[in-house]
Amino acid sequence: MIYLLLAYEFLKIGLFSFGGGYATIPFLYDIAMRHGWYTVRELTNMTAVASITPGPVGINVATYAGVNTAGILGGVVATISEIIPSFILVIIVSKLLRKYSDNFYVKSLVETLRPIGCSLLVAVAVGLIKPELGDIEGIILLAVLLILSWKSKKSPLFYMLIGGLVGIIRVMI
Amino acid sequence: MQDFHAVVKKVPKNTIYMNKGISIIKIYYIFLQIGAILLGGGYVILPMLVSELCSKRRLIDSEELINYFTLSQSLPGIVAANISMFIGYKFRGKLGAFAAMLGVITIPFLSIVVLASLLKNLVDNQYVNGMFWGIGFAVIALIILTVREVWQKTNRNGFFYLIFLTSLIALLIFKMSPVDVILIFCIIGVIIKTLFRKRDA
Repeated sequence: MIYLLLAYEFLKIGLFSFGGGYATIPFLYDIAMRHGWYTVRELTNMTAVASITPGPVGINVATYAGVNTAGILGGVVATISEIIPSFILVIIVSKLLRKYSDNFYVKSLVETLRPIGCSLLVAVAVGLIKPELGDIEGIILLAVLLILSWKSKKSPLFYMLIGGLVGIIRVMI
Repeated sequence: MQDFHAVVKKVPKNTIYMNKGISIIKIYYIFLQIGAILLGGGYVILPMLVSELCSKRRLIDSEELINYFTLSQSLPGIVAANISMFIGYKFRGKLGAFAAMLGVITIPFLSIVVLASLLKNLVDNQYVNGMFWGIGFAVIALIILTVREVWQKTNRNGFFYLIFLTSLIALLIFKMSPVDVILIFCIIGVIIKTLFRKRDA
Protein backbone atom coordinates (compact mmCIF):
# COMPACT_ATOMS: atom_id res chain seq x y z
CA MET A 1 0.00 0.00 0.00
CA ILE A 2 1.33 3.35 -1.06
CA TYR A 3 0.51 5.10 2.27
CA LEU A 4 2.48 2.60 4.33
CA LEU A 5 5.43 2.93 2.00
CA LEU A 6 5.19 6.75 2.18
CA ALA A 7 5.02 6.59 5.97
CA TYR A 8 8.05 4.31 6.09
CA GLU A 9 10.17 6.51 3.80
CA PHE A 10 9.29 9.75 5.61
CA LEU A 11 9.75 8.24 9.08
CA LYS A 12 13.28 7.43 7.94
CA ILE A 13 13.81 11.03 6.82
CA GLY A 14 12.50 12.33 10.14
CA LEU A 15 14.80 10.02 12.05
CA PHE A 16 18.01 10.42 10.08
CA SER A 17 18.11 13.97 8.72
CA PHE A 18 20.04 16.41 10.87
CA GLY A 19 20.30 20.13 10.26
CA GLY A 20 16.90 21.26 9.08
CA GLY A 21 15.07 21.57 5.79
CA TYR A 22 17.70 21.31 3.11
CA ALA A 23 19.23 18.27 4.80
CA THR A 24 16.14 16.30 3.75
CA ILE A 25 16.73 16.91 0.02
CA PRO A 26 19.29 14.11 -0.46
CA PHE A 27 16.80 11.66 1.07
CA LEU A 28 14.07 12.88 -1.26
CA TYR A 29 16.45 12.51 -4.17
CA ASP A 30 17.09 8.94 -3.10
CA ILE A 31 13.32 8.29 -2.96
CA ALA A 32 12.93 9.65 -6.49
CA MET A 33 15.60 7.24 -7.67
CA ARG A 34 14.21 4.16 -5.94
CA HIS A 35 10.44 4.61 -6.15
CA GLY A 36 9.96 6.93 -9.09
CA TRP A 37 7.13 8.73 -7.24
CA TYR A 38 8.39 11.94 -8.80
CA THR A 39 11.26 12.82 -11.08
CA VAL A 40 14.41 14.67 -10.06
CA ARG A 41 13.23 17.61 -12.16
CA GLU A 42 9.96 17.65 -10.20
CA LEU A 43 11.93 17.56 -6.96
CA THR A 44 13.84 20.69 -8.01
CA ASN A 45 10.51 22.42 -8.69
CA MET A 46 9.12 21.24 -5.37
CA THR A 47 12.09 22.67 -3.50
CA ALA A 48 11.66 25.99 -5.29
CA VAL A 49 7.93 26.11 -4.49
CA ALA A 50 8.62 25.05 -0.90
CA SER A 51 10.88 28.02 -0.41
CA ILE A 52 8.26 30.53 -1.59
CA THR A 53 5.42 29.17 0.56
CA PRO A 54 5.25 29.87 4.28
CA GLY A 55 6.68 27.25 6.59
CA PRO A 56 9.89 25.31 7.14
CA VAL A 57 11.26 24.08 3.80
CA GLY A 58 11.65 20.50 5.08
CA ILE A 59 7.96 20.30 6.01
CA ASN A 60 6.82 21.93 2.78
CA VAL A 61 8.82 19.60 0.56
CA ALA A 62 7.54 16.58 2.46
CA THR A 63 3.94 17.74 2.06
CA TYR A 64 4.49 18.48 -1.61
CA ALA A 65 6.15 15.13 -2.30
CA GLY A 66 3.36 13.32 -0.45
CA VAL A 67 0.61 15.18 -2.31
CA ASN A 68 2.39 14.57 -5.59
CA THR A 69 2.63 10.86 -4.88
CA ALA A 70 -0.71 9.99 -3.34
CA GLY A 71 -2.98 13.03 -3.14
CA ILE A 72 -3.91 15.04 -0.04
CA LEU A 73 -3.93 11.99 2.24
CA GLY A 74 -0.44 11.22 0.96
CA GLY A 75 0.58 14.74 1.98
CA VAL A 76 -0.81 14.21 5.49
CA VAL A 77 0.96 10.85 5.84
CA ALA A 78 4.31 12.19 4.61
CA THR A 79 4.24 15.33 6.77
CA ILE A 80 3.16 13.60 9.99
CA SER A 81 5.59 10.71 9.44
CA GLU A 82 8.47 13.11 9.02
CA ILE A 83 7.70 14.84 12.34
CA ILE A 84 6.79 11.83 14.51
CA PRO A 85 10.36 10.67 15.29
CA SER A 86 11.43 14.10 16.51
CA PHE A 87 8.11 14.52 18.36
CA ILE A 88 8.91 11.42 20.39
CA LEU A 89 12.52 12.50 20.94
CA VAL A 90 11.50 16.02 22.00
CA ILE A 91 9.14 14.57 24.59
CA ILE A 92 11.74 12.14 25.93
CA VAL A 93 14.41 14.85 26.16
CA SER A 94 12.01 17.34 27.76
CA LYS A 95 10.87 14.75 30.29
CA LEU A 96 14.42 13.80 31.23
CA LEU A 97 15.48 17.44 31.57
CA ARG A 98 12.49 18.16 33.78
CA LYS A 99 12.88 15.02 35.90
CA TYR A 100 16.59 15.53 36.54
CA SER A 101 16.59 19.33 36.64
CA ASP A 102 18.23 19.25 40.09
CA ASN A 103 20.97 16.88 39.01
CA PHE A 104 24.39 18.53 38.81
CA TYR A 105 25.29 17.07 35.42
CA VAL A 106 21.97 18.01 33.85
CA LYS A 107 22.34 21.53 35.22
CA SER A 108 25.84 21.79 33.74
CA LEU A 109 24.52 20.48 30.43
CA VAL A 110 21.76 23.08 30.33
CA GLU A 111 24.26 25.83 31.17
CA THR A 112 26.47 24.63 28.33
CA LEU A 113 23.61 24.72 25.83
CA ARG A 114 23.36 28.52 25.97
CA PRO A 115 26.86 29.51 24.80
CA ILE A 116 26.66 26.81 22.12
CA GLY A 117 23.29 28.18 21.02
CA CYS A 118 24.76 31.67 20.73
CA SER A 119 27.62 30.43 18.58
CA LEU A 120 25.23 28.39 16.39
CA LEU A 121 23.18 31.54 15.89
CA VAL A 122 26.25 33.61 14.98
CA ALA A 123 27.30 30.85 12.58
CA VAL A 124 23.86 30.95 10.95
CA ALA A 125 24.17 34.71 10.50
CA VAL A 126 27.67 34.37 9.02
CA GLY A 127 26.53 31.53 6.76
CA LEU A 128 23.64 33.61 5.45
CA ILE A 129 25.57 36.81 4.87
CA LYS A 130 28.78 35.40 3.39
CA PRO A 131 27.47 34.46 -0.08
CA GLU A 132 25.67 37.85 -0.34
CA LEU A 133 28.66 40.08 0.36
CA GLY A 134 29.11 40.82 -3.35
CA ASP A 135 25.54 42.07 -3.65
CA ILE A 136 26.00 45.81 -2.95
CA GLU A 137 22.30 46.68 -3.23
CA GLY A 138 21.40 43.87 -0.86
CA ILE A 139 24.00 44.94 1.68
CA ILE A 140 22.62 48.49 1.55
CA LEU A 141 19.11 47.14 2.15
CA LEU A 142 20.45 45.11 5.07
CA ALA A 143 22.25 48.15 6.52
CA VAL A 144 19.10 50.29 6.23
CA LEU A 145 16.99 47.63 7.95
CA LEU A 146 19.51 47.35 10.77
CA ILE A 147 19.79 51.14 11.23
CA LEU A 148 15.98 51.48 11.23
CA SER A 149 15.74 49.12 14.14
CA TRP A 150 18.90 49.66 16.15
CA LYS A 151 17.07 51.74 18.76
CA SER A 152 13.84 49.76 18.90
CA LYS A 153 13.14 46.40 17.34
CA LYS A 154 10.04 46.09 15.21
CA SER A 155 7.88 43.07 14.48
CA PRO A 156 9.51 40.45 12.22
CA LEU A 157 6.72 41.03 9.68
CA PHE A 158 7.88 44.64 9.29
CA TYR A 159 11.28 43.53 7.97
CA MET A 160 9.79 40.90 5.65
CA LEU A 161 7.32 43.43 4.21
CA ILE A 162 9.96 46.12 3.65
CA GLY A 163 12.38 43.55 2.21
CA GLY A 164 9.74 42.08 -0.10
CA LEU A 165 8.54 45.50 -1.29
CA VAL A 166 12.05 46.79 -1.94
CA GLY A 167 12.74 43.58 -3.86
CA ILE A 168 9.68 44.07 -6.10
CA ILE A 169 10.43 47.77 -6.67
CA ARG A 170 14.02 46.88 -7.53
CA VAL A 171 12.79 44.61 -10.34
CA MET A 172 10.41 47.31 -11.63
CA ILE A 173 13.00 50.08 -11.96
CA MET B 1 6.34 29.24 57.05
CA GLN B 2 9.89 28.00 56.89
CA ASP B 3 8.88 25.35 54.36
CA PHE B 4 7.25 27.98 52.25
CA HIS B 5 10.47 29.99 52.05
CA ALA B 6 12.45 26.90 51.20
CA VAL B 7 10.13 26.27 48.30
CA VAL B 8 10.25 29.84 47.07
CA LYS B 9 14.04 29.86 47.17
CA LYS B 10 14.21 26.75 45.00
CA VAL B 11 12.10 28.22 42.24
CA PRO B 12 14.41 29.08 39.34
CA LYS B 13 14.35 32.63 38.05
CA ASN B 14 12.74 31.59 34.77
CA THR B 15 9.57 30.86 36.64
CA ILE B 16 8.52 34.49 36.79
CA TYR B 17 7.66 34.10 33.14
CA MET B 18 5.68 30.95 33.69
CA ASN B 19 2.18 31.15 32.40
CA LYS B 20 -0.91 31.07 34.51
CA GLY B 21 -2.07 28.05 32.53
CA ILE B 22 -1.87 28.85 28.85
CA SER B 23 -4.54 26.85 27.05
CA ILE B 24 -3.91 24.23 24.37
CA ILE B 25 -5.95 26.27 21.91
CA LYS B 26 -3.85 29.34 22.65
CA ILE B 27 -0.67 27.34 22.00
CA TYR B 28 -2.12 26.11 18.71
CA TYR B 29 -3.13 29.64 17.75
CA ILE B 30 0.27 31.19 18.58
CA PHE B 31 2.09 28.60 16.47
CA LEU B 32 -0.51 28.83 13.71
CA GLN B 33 0.39 32.52 13.38
CA ILE B 34 4.10 31.79 13.48
CA GLY B 35 3.76 29.10 10.80
CA ALA B 36 1.85 31.48 8.56
CA ILE B 37 4.59 34.11 8.46
CA LEU B 38 7.53 31.72 8.27
CA LEU B 39 9.04 32.82 4.98
CA GLY B 40 12.63 32.44 3.92
CA GLY B 41 13.73 29.29 5.72
CA GLY B 42 13.28 27.63 9.07
CA TYR B 43 15.74 29.78 11.01
CA VAL B 44 13.32 32.73 10.79
CA ILE B 45 11.34 30.98 13.48
CA LEU B 46 13.80 32.12 16.14
CA PRO B 47 13.24 35.87 15.60
CA MET B 48 9.50 35.17 15.41
CA LEU B 49 9.57 33.28 18.70
CA VAL B 50 11.65 35.95 20.43
CA SER B 51 9.23 38.64 19.27
CA GLU B 52 6.04 36.72 20.00
CA LEU B 53 6.90 34.75 23.16
CA CYS B 54 9.59 36.85 24.85
CA SER B 55 8.87 40.48 23.98
CA LYS B 56 5.12 40.50 23.41
CA ARG B 57 3.66 37.80 25.63
CA ARG B 58 6.49 37.31 28.15
CA LEU B 59 5.87 33.59 28.30
CA ILE B 60 9.49 32.50 28.19
CA ASP B 61 12.86 34.23 28.45
CA SER B 62 15.36 34.35 25.62
CA GLU B 63 17.98 32.36 27.53
CA GLU B 64 15.63 29.41 27.73
CA LEU B 65 14.65 29.85 24.09
CA ILE B 66 18.31 29.58 23.10
CA ASN B 67 18.59 26.35 25.06
CA TYR B 68 15.68 24.91 23.07
CA PHE B 69 17.27 26.19 19.86
CA THR B 70 20.44 24.22 20.63
CA LEU B 71 18.51 21.11 21.63
CA SER B 72 16.43 21.34 18.45
CA GLN B 73 19.53 21.28 16.31
CA SER B 74 20.98 18.32 18.16
CA LEU B 75 17.92 16.20 17.37
CA PRO B 76 17.02 14.84 13.92
CA GLY B 77 14.15 16.34 11.98
CA ILE B 78 13.10 19.87 11.12
CA VAL B 79 14.59 22.47 13.48
CA ALA B 80 11.56 24.78 13.35
CA ALA B 81 9.19 21.93 14.24
CA ASN B 82 11.49 20.68 16.99
CA ILE B 83 11.76 24.04 18.73
CA SER B 84 7.97 24.52 18.51
CA MET B 85 7.44 21.15 20.17
CA PHE B 86 9.95 21.90 22.96
CA ILE B 87 8.11 25.12 23.76
CA GLY B 88 4.71 23.47 23.52
CA TYR B 89 5.93 20.79 25.94
CA LYS B 90 7.21 23.41 28.34
CA PHE B 91 3.76 25.03 28.46
CA ARG B 92 1.46 22.03 28.55
CA GLY B 93 3.35 18.74 28.30
CA LYS B 94 2.73 16.24 25.51
CA LEU B 95 -0.54 17.79 24.42
CA GLY B 96 1.12 21.19 24.29
CA ALA B 97 3.91 19.81 22.12
CA PHE B 98 1.31 18.24 19.83
CA ALA B 99 -0.67 21.48 19.60
CA ALA B 100 2.47 23.50 18.80
CA MET B 101 3.49 20.98 16.14
CA LEU B 102 0.05 20.98 14.50
CA GLY B 103 -0.11 24.76 14.71
CA VAL B 104 3.20 25.39 13.04
CA ILE B 105 2.47 23.04 10.11
CA THR B 106 -1.20 23.91 9.47
CA ILE B 107 -0.74 26.92 7.18
CA PRO B 108 2.36 25.51 5.43
CA PHE B 109 0.40 22.31 4.74
CA LEU B 110 -2.65 24.11 3.40
CA SER B 111 -0.57 26.46 1.32
CA ILE B 112 1.14 23.53 -0.39
CA VAL B 113 -2.12 21.63 -0.94
CA VAL B 114 -4.01 24.66 -2.22
CA LEU B 115 -1.33 26.76 -3.86
CA ALA B 116 1.38 24.41 -5.05
CA SER B 117 -0.06 23.97 -8.54
CA LEU B 118 -0.53 27.73 -8.90
CA LEU B 119 2.87 28.59 -7.46
CA LYS B 120 4.63 26.25 -9.88
CA ASN B 121 4.34 28.95 -12.51
CA LEU B 122 5.47 31.68 -10.13
CA VAL B 123 8.84 30.17 -9.34
CA ASP B 124 10.41 31.77 -12.40
CA ASN B 125 8.46 35.02 -12.12
CA GLN B 126 10.84 37.97 -11.84
CA TYR B 127 8.71 39.87 -9.30
CA VAL B 128 8.44 36.83 -7.05
CA ASN B 129 12.19 36.33 -7.32
CA GLY B 130 12.70 40.03 -6.56
CA MET B 131 10.47 39.77 -3.53
CA PHE B 132 12.40 36.79 -2.19
CA TRP B 133 15.68 38.57 -2.84
CA GLY B 134 14.47 41.30 -0.47
CA ILE B 135 13.02 38.86 2.05
CA GLY B 136 16.39 37.09 2.08
CA PHE B 137 18.08 40.23 3.36
CA ALA B 138 15.23 40.89 5.80
CA VAL B 139 15.88 37.43 7.23
CA ILE B 140 19.59 38.22 7.64
CA ALA B 141 18.67 41.46 9.43
CA LEU B 142 16.29 39.55 11.71
CA ILE B 143 18.92 36.96 12.59
CA ILE B 144 21.50 39.66 13.36
CA LEU B 145 19.01 41.52 15.57
CA THR B 146 18.16 38.30 17.36
CA VAL B 147 21.85 37.57 18.01
CA ARG B 148 22.13 41.06 19.49
CA GLU B 149 19.02 40.73 21.65
CA VAL B 150 19.93 37.29 22.96
CA TRP B 151 23.48 38.45 23.63
CA GLN B 152 22.30 41.40 25.70
CA LYS B 153 19.94 39.29 27.77
CA THR B 154 22.35 36.46 28.48
CA ASN B 155 24.39 36.14 31.64
CA ARG B 156 27.95 35.85 30.44
CA ASN B 157 30.78 34.57 32.61
CA GLY B 158 34.17 33.08 31.86
CA PHE B 159 32.64 29.69 31.20
CA PHE B 160 30.19 31.22 28.69
CA TYR B 161 32.96 32.96 26.72
CA LEU B 162 35.15 29.86 26.74
CA ILE B 163 32.45 27.61 25.29
CA PHE B 164 31.09 30.30 22.98
CA LEU B 165 34.45 31.16 21.38
CA THR B 166 35.77 27.61 21.04
CA SER B 167 32.51 26.28 19.58
CA LEU B 168 32.35 29.23 17.20
CA ILE B 169 35.86 28.45 15.97
CA ALA B 170 34.84 24.82 15.51
CA LEU B 171 31.82 25.89 13.44
CA LEU B 172 33.33 28.67 11.33
CA ILE B 173 36.98 27.74 10.92
CA PHE B 174 36.94 23.96 11.21
CA LYS B 175 33.51 23.77 9.51
CA MET B 176 32.25 21.13 11.90
CA SER B 177 28.60 20.20 11.63
CA PRO B 178 26.26 21.67 14.27
CA VAL B 179 25.32 18.23 15.57
CA ASP B 180 28.98 17.30 16.18
CA VAL B 181 29.68 20.68 17.78
CA ILE B 182 26.72 20.34 20.16
CA LEU B 183 27.68 16.80 21.15
CA ILE B 184 31.37 17.51 21.67
CA PHE B 185 30.96 20.81 23.49
CA CYS B 186 28.20 19.53 25.76
CA ILE B 187 30.60 16.84 26.92
CA ILE B 188 33.44 19.38 27.30
CA GLY B 189 31.13 21.74 29.18
CA VAL B 190 29.99 19.12 31.66
CA ILE B 191 33.61 17.97 32.21
CA ILE B 192 34.75 21.54 32.91
CA LYS B 193 31.88 22.10 35.32
CA THR B 194 32.65 18.83 37.09
CA LEU B 195 36.34 19.67 37.47
CA PHE B 196 35.51 23.05 38.95
CA ARG B 197 32.99 21.56 41.33
CA LYS B 198 35.62 19.18 42.69
CA ARG B 199 38.03 22.03 43.18
CA ASP B 200 35.40 23.99 45.10
CA ALA B 201 34.67 21.08 47.40
